[in-house]
Amino acid sequence: MTGLVPMADIKIGHHVERTFLGMTFNVDTIISTLVAGVLVLILGFWATRSLTKDTEDHVPTKVQILWELVVGEVNKQVEDNLGKVHPFVAPLAISLFFFILFANWLELVPTKLNEHTHLLPAPTADTNLTYALAAVTMVSVWAYGIRQKGVKGYFKHFLEPFPVLLPLNILEELIKPITLALRLFGNIFAGGIMLALIGLIPLYAMWAPNILWKAFDAIIGVIQAFIFALLTVLYFAMAGAGHEEHESHEEHEDEQRKKKAAEAAAVSDEATPVPAH
Amino acid sequence: MASVAITPMEQNFLVPNGTFFVELIAFGILLFLLGKYVIPPINRAMTARQDAIRAEFAELDEAKSEAEAAEEEFKSQIADARHEAARIREEAREQGAAIIAEMREQAQTEAARIVEHAHAQVEADRKAAVASLRAEVGTLATTLAGRIVGESLEDEARQSRVVDRFLAELEGAN
Repeated sequence: MTGLVPMADIKIGHHVERTFLGMTFNVDTIISTLVAGVLVLILGFWATRSLTKDTEDHVPTKVQILWELVVGEVNKQVEDNLGKVHPFVAPLAISLFFFILFANWLELVPTKLNEHTHLLPAPTADTNLTYALAAVTMVSVWAYGIRQKGVKGYFKHFLEPFPVLLPLNILEELIKPITLALRLFGNIFAGGIMLALIGLIPLYAMWAPNILWKAFDAIIGVIQAFIFALLTVLYFAMAGAGHEEHESHEEHEDEQRKKKAAEAAAVSDEATPVPAH
Repeated sequence: MASVAITPMEQNFLVPNGTFFVELIAFGILLFLLGKYVIPPINRAMTARQDAIRAEFAELDEAKSEAEAAEEEFKSQIADARHEAARIREEAREQGAAIIAEMREQAQTEAARIVEHAHAQVEADRKAAVASLRAEVGTLATTLAGRIVGESLEDEARQSRVVDRFLAELEGAN
């Protein structure tokens, strides 16, 4: 009896809404977005503050090491795929990683026991955020591709390797942002549903699955943030590929990148089992 | 529940609403702040540290090669000094041998000279003795003759006494 009745209390995709200028705004998502953003900024400025304090001995602080780890890794990825550390792509990927990571982890902060299992809903469990991030990424990718190859060169790419594939190429460009957004959303949203389901378990038994799931969710948070940033870099690489290299070489590299992206996406999708409803 | 039936899209969580634009602006601000104020200094610090480490390693290599060169020089100097010492020792031994030989030569010459000198002296003394003896023999003979003449030569006893006395005097004078 107790197992079925509270089930109805779980509201999927429910948000605290306010209407303003004829548009609906999810207030809870906005608040948690701000919290995540502010946390990232605090961490960032903390790192740079201690960074500027003693530059002579070059000994990094712990926060600086954390940032350097991510910045260094992203720079390496960007350099490997784009040929140089692009002044826009690298900061974009770093910002995406940290922001998504903190947004994902917000879900783990607990509230009063047995009321909710999380204090703030992860803003990444709202498609508005993930669509926005994917939009930023894809618009940047298209702009980068056009700037690298020229308008003609970029659109010529849609007719390659065969003009017949034009619909598929266009579809691919549209699917990229949607998958980017929905992968992140799905994983984190599923995590939230799992937490809600675990919240239904009586308190004396709840702690074990709660701890286990939150530990797992923390790892998923990292993986999803990493995947999003990595795919962003790879999409930039695909858009800019072949404007200077040899034709067959470029094709080969492009194929490899596509494969890499597909593998990365597959890994991330497998990471979260779909919770049983 | 009725609103769900009328406007199903409004409730679909896969369809974005106004929040989309807020998120877009929020992420734009975050990207701007991180890209302008956080990431460049971190990149600079990383580059600076890498440069510093590289410079330090270069310095280390330089110092090491310098130290090796100094050690090499030191070793060669030590070897040179050893050779020099051996040479000096050899030279000193040779010089010593030469000096000893020379000294021996000198000593032998000196000894020969001294012996020669001694021989000459002895010869001269002998000659002088002979000369003086020759000169005295006359006188002695005269004295002896005088005595013999002065004394009575009658008895044998007296004669022998005189001769004895003469001989004794001769011995005493000698």
